[in-house]
Amino acid sequence: MNIIRIAIKEVKVFRDVRMLVFMLATPILIMLILGTALSNVFNGSAAIGEIRILYENGNMSSMLESRWNKLVQEASGSGIHFEPASNREAALQDVQAGRYTGFATIAEDGISYTGNDRIGVENSIAQGVLAAFADDYKLALAMADGASVEGVPLSSTALRADYVQEASIDGGQQPSAMDYYAVAMTTLIIMYSAMTAGQLMDNERKRHTDIRLLASPVSRMEIFIGKIIGTLLLNGVFVLLIMLFSKYMFGVNWGTSQLTVFLVLASQIVYALGLGIGLSYIIKGNASGIVLMLIIQLEAMIGGSYFPADVLTGFFGALSQLSPMKWTNGAILQLIYQGSAAGVAPAMLFNIGAALVLLTLSVLLLRRREGL
Amino acid sequence: MNVLAIKRLTKKFGDFIAVDDISFSVGQGEIFGFLGPNGAGKSTVIHMIASLLSISSGEIELLGKNIAKHRHFAKSNIGIVPQELSIYEDMSAYENVEFFAGLYGLRGAQLRKSVEEALAFVGLGDKRRDYPKNFSGGMKRRLNIACAIAHRPALIIMDEPTIGIDPQSRSYILDSVKKLNEMGSTIIYTSHYMEEVEEICSRIAIIDHGKIIAEGTKAQLTSIITNQSHIRIEVKSGERVELEGLKAIAGVRSVEREGGWIKVSSDAEVNNLNPILRVLTALDAEVIAVESDRPSLESVFLTLTGRSLRD
Repeated sequence: MNIIRIAIKEVKVFRDVRMLVFMLATPILIMLILGTALSNVFNGSAAIGEIRILYENGNMSSMLESRWNKLVQEASGSGIHFEPASNREAALQDVQAGRYTGFATIAEDGISYTGNDRIGVENSIAQGVLAAFADDYKLALAMADGASVEGVPLSSTALRADYVQEASIDGGQQPSAMDYYAVAMTTLIIMYSAMTAGQLMDNERKRHTDIRLLASPVSRMEIFIGKIIGTLLLNGVFVLLIMLFSKYMFGVNWGTSQLTVFLVLASQIVYALGLGIGLSYIIKGNASGIVLMLIIQLEAMIGGSYFPADVLTGFFGALSQLSPMKWTNGAILQLIYQGSAAGVAPAMLFNIGAALVLLTLSVLLLRRREGL
Repeated sequence: MNVLAIKRLTKKFGDFIAVDDISFSVGQGEIFGFLGPNGAGKSTVIHMIASLLSISSGEIELLGKNIAKHRHFAKSNIGIVPQELSIYEDMSAYENVEFFAGLYGLRGAQLRKSVEEALAFVGLGDKRRDYPKNFSGGMKRRLNIACAIAHRPALIIMDEPTIGIDPQSRSYILDSVKKLNEMGSTIIYTSHYMEEVEEICSRIAIIDHGKIIAEGTKAQLTSIITNQSHIRIEVKSGERVELEGLKAIAGVRSVEREGGWIKVSSDAEVNNLNPILRVLTALDAEVIAVESDRPSLESVFLTLTGRSLRD
């Protein structure tokens, strides 16, 4: 009962106008600004960068394989990179997710190609290159008349539609800028709630209300749990309000599985809470706030808060794969725009798992202290 | 019956001994004063009583039960008025008292009644919906008290409850403490203001450097340094005043002339200023000035430690 009493006391922070403004107005305002200002970036065209295509060996002859390897080598100089796929299913998922332009199976009887039609221009280029290669190989075979085609140079030829079989994955509905930033700003403001969580116990110490709490017949664990539950409820309400406001005021698409979307966001709230409280116990003093801010900013940058994280390549692209915020954003966008819940479980498991580890550590450190 | 019994209590922070083997008890219905300079160990002792700090060694018994073994019982029967304000500025006065009283198990109508009574007692009944951020310092101190007494604890601990407030509010708080005591509460009152402790406390312990250096009633404490009080009276043409009449007053031990002054030394517990002035009037002596030199707790502390309470 005292846990509930303490939790309700935490929720009463809702009455703080400054807190309301920060938690509600800030994400909605940024959502509106970025969603309006960057609408062309999401709907218009973009410069073509590197084109990456996965391929598998569908039983190539040594001659075909040799010419294929030459193509791979020469194409990389033009910004087209063919990479061997380790697993067909994983390769198709990567194409669907937009990490690769397409997936090709190279075989003696032809090339089958599956591309992501959301990446229109790159997809066309990939098809063109493969078709040209196919024509080249057939021409070389004809010229060699049974002999080795090693000496026959590769050349560009007209597209031969019958040699290259094409398929495309339906990329599905795409988010507008407003839709994208609705998700991104919601997950960002949830991460910022970690700062508030980090102050949960410290605020009691600063107000000296920890004295009265600890002098009462309420255990430290009851105080700890009550404050966490209250903060969870408070942030859950804020997130719900942001979703509702953005949906009905800005027409943001939160998909048909809005409960699942909310659950993913709720798991992120748990993660943010655990991160804030955990760091406040692990790192003493104001340094915990500084470290927390660094973590939030880094996660925001590589996690898709300011721009889609999929555009990141190289080191930062690899780093973004480690970002829980990217997993959360990705899981929600995939759920809304592809109808796939594939990313939901990993994102939620990580969020809750990390929170459990951090909160358990906090409890262990709390037990070693006198006071909160 | 003793409400509180402290036996050989010690608290160490590393090598530093903050409280050094102290023992005392507080009887039912007493206002027990804890007097000492800043850093003497007063707050450390009461934090141990309130289970805010662990005990290094010794025992604390509340209503006959060891608080280390009966923590819930002990906490349920203690109310603490901390030295620092311990209230939520973003909750109304009513909500503050209700929240803290609720932690002690009060519910429903009983909770509401207790909250109203506590607020009325400290004179904040009409401010129940107001927020402490709009209160004066004195009002915040009163709310601080209300939060401690709503659950009617057997023992109330007040740690310097009048620090930093105006004299009117201080007077109000001291009157409230006396009223609480009259209603049956047992109170431990800590302060470094000797005047407050002298005014309201029935028994006093003086603590310095973690040790109790003296304990007893005010009379018992002042008798440590002297069993006499002195009154000096400046009289016009005092050298011609007959002193025999003054020597005959009850309690007077000696009468001396000091130039134009007459010094009357009496037993410490006797207040005989009025009889002395009547005798002088009867002798047609013109009294110009009167000085009283009664021993105070300040002088007791100074004598015992070589320092003043305000050092």
